[in-house]
Amino acid sequence: MSVTTSSSSATPDWSRMARRTLWNRTGFLAIVIGFLTVVSLPIVLPYLWLLAISLTGKGGDGTTILWRLFAVAAAGYLALITIALFAPEGQTAKRLQWGVTLVTVAALVAGVGPYLTIDNFAFLWDPASVAAERGSQSRIGLMPSVWSAMGNSFAFAGAQTLIVTVVAAPAAYALSRFSFAGRESFLRGLLLLHAFPALALTVAIFIQMYWMGLLNSLSGVILVLCALELPFAIFVLKGFFDAVPWDIEMSAITDGASRFQAFRMVVLPQVVGGLIAVGTFTFLRGWEEYVFVQTLLIEKTSLTMSLYLFFVSEDSMGVDYSLVAAVGVVYVLPALVLYIFTQKYLTQMSFGGIKG
Amino acid sequence: MAKITLDKVTKSWGQTEVLRPMDLTIDDGEFVAILGPSGCGKSTTLFLLAGLYAPTSGQILFDDHTVNRVDARDRNVGIVFQSYALYPHLTVQQNIAFPLRFKDVPKDEADRRVREAAALVQVDKLLERRPGQLSGGQQQRVALARALVKEPNILLLDEPLSNLDATLRIAMRAEIKALQSRLGITTLIVTHDQIEATTMADRIICMNNGNIAQIGTPDELYRSPHDIFVAGFIGSPPINLIKGEARGDTALVGERVLSLSAIYRGAVTFGLRPEDIALIASADTAMTGKVSLIEPMGREIFYTLQTPFGRLHALETGETARFVIGETVGLTFNAQRTLFFDAEGNRLPGLNADITTTIHEPVPSVRHPSHAEVAQ
Repeated sequence: MSVTTSSSSATPDWSRMARRTLWNRTGFLAIVIGFLTVVSLPIVLPYLWLLAISLTGKGGDGTTILWRLFAVAAAGYLALITIALFAPEGQTAKRLQWGVTLVTVAALVAGVGPYLTIDNFAFLWDPASVAAERGSQSRIGLMPSVWSAMGNSFAFAGAQTLIVTVVAAPAAYALSRFSFAGRESFLRGLLLLHAFPALALTVAIFIQMYWMGLLNSLSGVILVLCALELPFAIFVLKGFFDAVPWDIEMSAITDGASRFQAFRMVVLPQVVGGLIAVGTFTFLRGWEEYVFVQTLLIEKTSLTMSLYLFFVSEDSMGVDYSLVAAVGVVYVLPALVLYIFTQKYLTQMSFGGIKG
Repeated sequence: MAKITLDKVTKSWGQTEVLRPMDLTIDDGEFVAILGPSGCGKSTTLFLLAGLYAPTSGQILFDDHTVNRVDARDRNVGIVFQSYALYPHLTVQQNIAFPLRFKDVPKDEADRRVREAAALVQVDKLLERRPGQLSGGQQQRVALARALVKEPNILLLDEPLSNLDATLRIAMRAEIKALQSRLGITTLIVTHDQIEATTMADRIICMNNGNIAQIGTPDELYRSPHDIFVAGFIGSPPINLIKGEARGDTALVGERVLSLSAIYRGAVTFGLRPEDIALIASADTAMTGKVSLIEPMGREIFYTLQTPFGRLHALETGETARFVIGETVGLTFNAQRTLFFDAEGNRLPGLNADITTTIHEPVPSVRHPSHAEVAQ
């Protein structure tokens, strides 16, 4: 009783406390956003730079464009953050944000637009003229078309994705559902294989490929990379299978399905997210693969995009950085598109521990 | 439709014995509940019948044919899992039609049977939805429709109501019972909830620790339990169990000596159901008790009393309490309803107590500490 009487003597200033809470929250948010912005700059800048260089002529306007691009983008970003922090919520803030976005885009078009050119991407549709301009002895003149490299890369990463998911799914299911001798050590082995630095195997794999007659063939490299990717894929997929309840499988079996039918018709549809995640991951790994294609395709009769990029930048006739940047952009684009469509599955991926 | 027989069926996981030799016959069309605390082997029994587990030894017979080696997929058993186990990626229609995909059922007949099964459990308006868009009760109905659509020999229900809220549970209880008697399918329900078992089933199999403790109608289990486990497990609020000692034609229970209807010697446990105790306003009876707690339960009042027996629970029909805490009230009980169990916990049939001929003097030399004293 005494507690209530003593506290009621001094009426608390509710509005003052509410203001303080608001300021605390705004201050905290501002600090967090500021920190995140600063640390993400070194990550974002190279991409901006790559884009800027790939879109500028040989005159060396790249730096000018980069700075203008950066200045305008930074101003727009700051304005948007300020609005988000301080403007009243609702329609007004929305309209303000749209206004700022429009102004930023307009400023970009006005400030940077005149300098831009797509000449650097001419290798995509007119490789002959690029080769002629650079000289017939330049790398780009000697190499096959970028489209064949692109096709090879797609075939390379696609085949790898297909093989890895088709092999990993039943393997992961077996590890998740069956108990068999050596299951525990198999799981531990998978982790160990994943942790193993694959580069250490390069020489051994080279010799093995030579004896198998698969040196210089794209399918040989595909097999090597599948073997290297499988442990990780199986391990991740096992986590997805573990999350599928036993009940629906038992239910399917009492409903008349065989074990395989239950797997295909009931269990597999539950792990589609996992299959997409693992598939995407494998595709991206194949798309970026450089070391093994460089080592195992010794005659370079077929090129992947990573090799194409490498040779463009290793030109004995002098390097055209705008061209390198343009090839880089083309190289990044498919991975980016794929990532945008599958990112929601990738974030579901858990690296959950081994469960008995 | 099938008659089920279990002949000395056992199940072990490695060294752990989950089911001790089990003999059991369930008649065609019967509704039987397997009741027991968790881990007593009741779900194991169900999965053995479904064919999901294989028995370690013994025979399982459907209509006198051994089905031990028959695959789960061929046993034509409908099962509703505790989690309903609906296939999340299929619509209600596809879920119910799933079992028919493995039988040679023509498309239009399959459609008709799915619609019939859905109508039977009133989910025919939800056929296009997915399980995620259904409430718990609706999922339960879909699971039931899926189990029924293949016209199973046996319907197995594994704790089907435990994930529903109280109101829905009562409604589904009645619905399943009505459905079963209409279709006449041999049905086994596994539950740890005695109300579910007693309200729905014709017979109850009470299991404890891998053994069948007793098989009987709900009334048999309630009124004449075979042992102290069944007596304690069935009945809510639970039976009063008081340790005592029989010496010929009397027994010392708590601090009280009761006369016995038959001669017995040795340690006993005296059992008395709360609703069999009558409370009387005058304290002028052979035994009295002091009210220590009153819990109104709506239609009934639940009293806790301090008596010469120790702490005793009594249940009285009525909406308002007739007594107050601290009041001393008279106690009587129906001698026919009293139960005695021996030292091993087995029922001593034919042994009853009578309070009216109580011998008032306790015998100090062999006095046991009463519950009341322990509590203090």
